[in-house]
Amino acid sequence: MSPVSFLRLRDVTLDFPIYQGSSRSLKKALLASSTRGNLGRDAAERVNVRALSEVSFEIGNGDRLALIGANGAGKTTLLKVLAGVYEPTQGRFFCSGRVSSLLDTSVGLNPDATGWENIILRGMYMGIHPGEMRALAGGIAEFTELGDYLDMPVRTYSAGMMIRLAFSISTCVPPDILIMDEWLSAGDAQFLGKAQRRIEEFVRRSSILVLASHSLELVEQWCNRGLLLHHGRVVTIGPVKEVVAAYRQLMDIATPPDLTAIATAV
Amino acid sequence: MPLIEPGEPTGHQNRRRLRYPTRRWTRPEGYVIARVGGGPEPRRRRAQAGTVEKGGYAGQTESAVAGLTDLSSVSVPRTGSVVEFPELPTRLGCAASDIVEGLGRYWLWTRLAHQDMRLRYRGSILGPFWQTITTAIMIGSMGFIYARLFHVELENYLPMLSVGLILWQFTSGMINEGCGTFEAVQGVIQQVKLPFSLHAYRLVYRNLLVLAHNFVIVPVVLLIFPHPIDWLRLLVLIPALVLIVINGIAVSTLLGMICARFRDVPPIVGSIVQVLFFVTPIFWLASSLGPHGRWLVLNPLYCAIDVMRSPLLGQPTSPHSWTILIAVTVLTSVASFLFFARFRSRIAFWV
Repeated sequence: MSPVSFLRLRDVTLDFPIYQGSSRSLKKALLASSTRGNLGRDAAERVNVRALSEVSFEIGNGDRLALIGANGAGKTTLLKVLAGVYEPTQGRFFCSGRVSSLLDTSVGLNPDATGWENIILRGMYMGIHPGEMRALAGGIAEFTELGDYLDMPVRTYSAGMMIRLAFSISTCVPPDILIMDEWLSAGDAQFLGKAQRRIEEFVRRSSILVLASHSLELVEQWCNRGLLLHHGRVVTIGPVKEVVAAYRQLMDIATPPDLTAIATAV
Repeated sequence: MPLIEPGEPTGHQNRRRLRYPTRRWTRPEGYVIARVGGGPEPRRRRAQAGTVEKGGYAGQTESAVAGLTDLSSVSVPRTGSVVEFPELPTRLGCAASDIVEGLGRYWLWTRLAHQDMRLRYRGSILGPFWQTITTAIMIGSMGFIYARLFHVELENYLPMLSVGLILWQFTSGMINEGCGTFEAVQGVIQQVKLPFSLHAYRLVYRNLLVLAHNFVIVPVVLLIFPHPIDWLRLLVLIPALVLIVINGIAVSTLLGMICARFRDVPPIVGSIVQVLFFVTPIFWLASSLGPHGRWLVLNPLYCAIDVMRSPLLGQPTSPHSWTILIAVTVLTSVASFLFFARFRSRIAFWV
């Protein structure tokens, strides 16, 4: 573990090119560049959605940051930027420390392989050599409490069991930075408690947690700082209680105009 | 709303924007950018909110950590003097390190390729050797019919056909599957940060495994129809295979990116490969073209097959096959690398 881990963003803007229909076509694109006429209009009109706009913040050792916002506010996109999946269109992003991301339960899991095989497989996607992973598998299996189910193909697992498996694998090596999407809140209370204890242990070792969730209770319980996103912009960042309060206020105020805007657009 | 905000350039992401200054962010229908609640600007608000906050850090003993704490609670300075961002590596540097890092994860892509093979033949008793049987049946049936049609001796025709067809399956397989290098693994690309080159290595390695399974047929055929084999000359197969593998990585990366961006390309590639099968001397003899046969070297797939097939059959290699193959390898590698360097960061959006 590196002594100082941090996430640092300055004016991060991310434009999502939406490719659909003719913008997916090479033929149309070639015609567009050669004719520049009516034929080309379809291909040239590529729609960009600004998913994140000038997001700047910095968090350091021991921070547990909650990303809060309505659907489509840019939470998952921001998580993906932090995980290194998307490169910002503008602005700078810099992170120090080993990142472990739990964006999706099923990544790297082969539905037809057993739980044991998938522990090795997902570990490899995380960058851990299968030899090391075999040594860690026992501890992971213990944490999942799945017992004999680990000998079954993960195709047969319930959503909750998948969450147990995915969380246990992703946190088997204490990461410096743990990035989680909201699916974890679908776990049962007993496992959530266990997961929280594990994360608290990380945070005591000065790890960073970034969690996106709609469950305000979970967020208040787990995080110390909050970041409120609205339409890809940072509305406020600060202590989690204040940010949650701001979110509640925002939803009350912002919902009616948003709905009318969408209604008129439709 | 212009995409380029006046401000300092912050890296190569910006250079891309600057090159296309006419491109604008078009607001999709129903997209609202109203500022929330009409309050102060988000940036200033954040600064206020941040100053209220105190503590929350587990280990604040180190001065470096304390420095970070201060930074996080005040607005981020725009000069970059206090908040340090490391110098961005160039695009070419990023691409090169991607390629090297991908190689370093050999344990991931080899295992994934083996898993691909297992899944493909899941449930069949023969496993991957099902592929071998399919190829053997195809060679057998084609061999007997075409030897008759072309009035050639079976003992000459069948070895040529079997080696040619197996090599064709290898090379064309990489091209056809190369269309899905990145698209086929979009779930992984959008969730985990991995070197992109890894997906190309996995694809090529998987095709090498198929080749290995098919190649079992070759010694059998050569035993039934013995040929004088120059064993020392077989050493030339190693550099030949290396060249083809490099080509395969380059082509599958290039095609993978183009096909991820333009979804009408895979059928085009499929058609071209199909045509190439008939203009490449696999089931017909190059010598039957007479003097026109010298134009065959213009087909890189012929060169690739020729440099491996001729030593195995104890025949002379066409004079220009090696030259063309090396030239094509250099060309595809350079083109693929430049394309990869330029568009690597866009792949996650394309798939």
